[in-house]
Amino acid sequence: MKTNNIRNFSIIAHIDHGKSTLADRLIEYTGTLSSRQMEAQVLDNMDLERERGITIKAQSVRLEYTAKDGETYMLNLIDTPGHVDFTYEVSRSLAACEGALLIVDAAQGIEAQTLANVYLALDNDLEIITVINKIDLPSADPERVKQEVEDVIGLDTSEAVLTSAKSGIGIEEVLESIVKKIPPPKGNVEEPLCALIFDSHFDAYKGVIAYVRVINGIIKPGMKMKMMATNKIVEVTEVGVFRPAMTNVSELAPGHVGFVAGSIKNVKDVRVGDTITDADRPVAEALPGYRKVTPMVYCGLYPVDSSEYDLLRDALEKLKLNDASLVFEPETSSALGFGFRCGFLGLLHMEVIQERLEREYNITLITTAPSVIYRVFKTDGEIFEIENPSKLPTPQEIEHIEEPYVKAMVIVPNDYVGVVMELSQEKRGEFKDMKYLDVTRVMLTYELPLSEIIYDYFDRLKSATRGYASLDYELLGYRESKLVKLDILLNSEPVDALSIIVHRDKATYRGRILVEKLRGIIPRQMFEIPIQAAIGNKVIARETVRAMRKDVLAKCYGGDISRKRKLLEKQKEGKKRMKQVGNVEVPQEAFMAILKID
Amino acid sequence: MKTGLYIHIPFCQQKCLYCDFPSYDNLTHLYQPYVAALCQEISGWGGVLSGTLIDTIYIGGGTPSLLSADALKAILTKVHESFSIDESAEISVEANPGTTNQDKLLALTSGGVNRISFGVQTFSNTLLKSIGRIHSAEQAVRAVKEAQDAGFSNINLDLMYGLPGQSCKDLKVSIQEAIKLDITHISVYGLKVEEGTPFAAMDQLGTLILPEEAVDEEMYTFTTEYLPQHGFRRYEISNFSKVGYECRHNFKYWKYHPYIGVGVAAHSFFQKERLSNITDVSQYIDCVEKGNLPIEFRENPSIAIAMAEYIFLALRMVWGLSILEFQEYFNRDFYLEYGVIVSELLQKKLIAVKEDRINLTVLGMKYGNVVFRAFLPG
Repeated sequence: MKTNNIRNFSIIAHIDHGKSTLADRLIEYTGTLSSRQMEAQVLDNMDLERERGITIKAQSVRLEYTAKDGETYMLNLIDTPGHVDFTYEVSRSLAACEGALLIVDAAQGIEAQTLANVYLALDNDLEIITVINKIDLPSADPERVKQEVEDVIGLDTSEAVLTSAKSGIGIEEVLESIVKKIPPPKGNVEEPLCALIFDSHFDAYKGVIAYVRVINGIIKPGMKMKMMATNKIVEVTEVGVFRPAMTNVSELAPGHVGFVAGSIKNVKDVRVGDTITDADRPVAEALPGYRKVTPMVYCGLYPVDSSEYDLLRDALEKLKLNDASLVFEPETSSALGFGFRCGFLGLLHMEVIQERLEREYNITLITTAPSVIYRVFKTDGEIFEIENPSKLPTPQEIEHIEEPYVKAMVIVPNDYVGVVMELSQEKRGEFKDMKYLDVTRVMLTYELPLSEIIYDYFDRLKSATRGYASLDYELLGYRESKLVKLDILLNSEPVDALSIIVHRDKATYRGRILVEKLRGIIPRQMFEIPIQAAIGNKVIARETVRAMRKDVLAKCYGGDISRKRKLLEKQKEGKKRMKQVGNVEVPQEAFMAILKID
Repeated sequence: MKTGLYIHIPFCQQKCLYCDFPSYDNLTHLYQPYVAALCQEISGWGGVLSGTLIDTIYIGGGTPSLLSADALKAILTKVHESFSIDESAEISVEANPGTTNQDKLLALTSGGVNRISFGVQTFSNTLLKSIGRIHSAEQAVRAVKEAQDAGFSNINLDLMYGLPGQSCKDLKVSIQEAIKLDITHISVYGLKVEEGTPFAAMDQLGTLILPEEAVDEEMYTFTTEYLPQHGFRRYEISNFSKVGYECRHNFKYWKYHPYIGVGVAAHSFFQKERLSNITDVSQYIDCVEKGNLPIEFRENPSIAIAMAEYIFLALRMVWGLSILEFQEYFNRDFYLEYGVIVSELLQKKLIAVKEDRINLTVLGMKYGNVVFRAFLPG
């Protein structure tokens, strides 16, 4: 097919604005899959993605569309992850396209996440087609939303497409718009091979499969390809396209989107954003924009049943095959035994991994409270980073500590400006800017410690604004803060896995709330359990879990032993999610309690 | 092996507010067909068990004493016809004060019944009313005396503690009243609010005011100390008796011996399989009338579960678990299976080991579930 008849595009939308539904309609309309083959929302094929209504991994599909001008076009849709944790992945997916559909809910208007991604698209010089979706909702107000898009982003919306993906309205118009407005890829088949990796996945038989967009040159089986960031050279064994199932083709030419396999064992060798070139005739320079992904959030993962340690390690290794951004290394905790300290792109990423470990690998886990990476400057001049609060040296050894800050953008209806300001203030935020997007919607910009964001900022924001607020943030850098380590003692023994680093001014409050919370979570046992919060040697809060007076089934009725046993089994099942810390049984959720404080 | 027989009578004049046992009120019209079906099931088992000696029989409920003298006679006659019964068999019947009379008591003794168990619960009339019992304390005293007059010398009273509004003094009075009646056995159960009972509903509404935990614990401790001081040995977690008057039928459950249960919702442990009968009275009758087995559920416990059951049942008794008997029964090495658990429980002072036997300590009796759970697999 002529390069002129290729269109590569992505879809930008806020959660629930209809991205996946529209993608499904496009697949259906172009006959790529019959509706019988369509499982709702084809592109989100991980169970978790479907349940949460989010896209975690980028997906891609090739559509063939015969337009009104009589020509047949090859449309490559690259679906992007829709969460702030995956901003870098989004930017690389966008870099593989010439255009993007900006989907905005006709009732809700622009959200912070949308905005952030639109800016990413504009940075990549994409042609943006505005799609106002859900126009058949009673509360839809497409004109207002169009105006908002014009005012806030500065896009011309005179040719915006009005759709209802759910009811199949406006699908053809979207396709026509893609054909007419998005420019075909440029690129030269004679030039040395240059292709952008925008995602990858691990296949047990074929090894790592790179998802690529070819910029120049040809890639086909038999040639030697080189990954420029890692200098890895392998022979190409297969190339193909997504329809949406992987289908082999003889070659991928400039403008094409597809996959490349070459018996690559390690997902680390195929990095998102890296450039593939011909090892025998390489390009001089890699494509711009590549960076090594580094985790932002760390937590400890421990098996409740210590015999599952090996299982956990194997499971993490398997997940890592598909997820180069996941890092982990063994660590030990005096309270929890052997486990792993794991790094994630963000909280969602962390939750997804955690849930997959529990669900797909059936491991009962204890997750410690997430932590950011702190920079510790010691009095002896040493500087180091810690991602585990229990590793913080004693206060005497510390000159000062720095923590990561982010720039956070919050979009809310104007009625909630006050509560957002109050919350952001409480979370040590520094006000930077306030902008009216339209008469009723406001964008607030704050600089906040990342630790506050991962703590409970987003949850609090959502509840304070009845779900109307949307949030996006980007890393700013490190700043000095007055931080201390808060320790928790159970039965007078410090529990390393419960230590947190907090701002000095909040320590007493957090400590008090945390011990109260733990008192509610730790079940009563045969003896009384004091719970204390301490900074250094100073106890700042104390609660007590009273002893359970007795625990015995009296009646053994009429020989019904099974019932009695089942009751005991049920109780035992409940205990399974508990970890023996010293002589105290501590439920799994206690280790995350710190996150659930308000 | 000598086998136990349990016969269930699922009828009550009125359901008690705490009760979640398989028993129903307002089913008077089913008494007769039920007894007929029961007799049919008894005959059936009689065939299966020919040659097996029955050495304990327990007619429980519900309220067996609600049935007429004739019905009771019919059941007992059928039992004697169908089974070979050991000469010295213990034959018990449960009764509620207010439902017994001379005719019924005579029907029982002449049918070979030699042990009677009264559901007294408490000797406080206020408390009796508040838990939905149909009788008064005076009726309870009278019922026991009548039973003694009819020739019963082995008598149990069921008592409860932890009742709404009950004080430790109330319990003490009840226990003293019970002892005065010259009986041989006392069971003392703590009230547990069971799902689906009126008490559970009241608890949800916040209208069920139970004694505070400290008081509940005091009652427990009082009971377990006072009764042994007054001639009633604590031979099981909730059971106390004069020496030699332990309930032998209960031993069937605790010692992992076989027993057959007949009637609605009755449980059997037969050839190492656990069976239970249909819980609905009409369905049970229909099923038996059609000549089918009224079994609703069977379970062949895995070896790990069977071992756990064996252990936690044995540990309920003052004699505890005999390791040799365990090993003989299962052909497994006890300490190879449970060595680590035993050491943990010893450390917690919940069990004691003496030669071949493991017992619960006094503390262990109080926290029995901690011990029992430890032996369950998983």
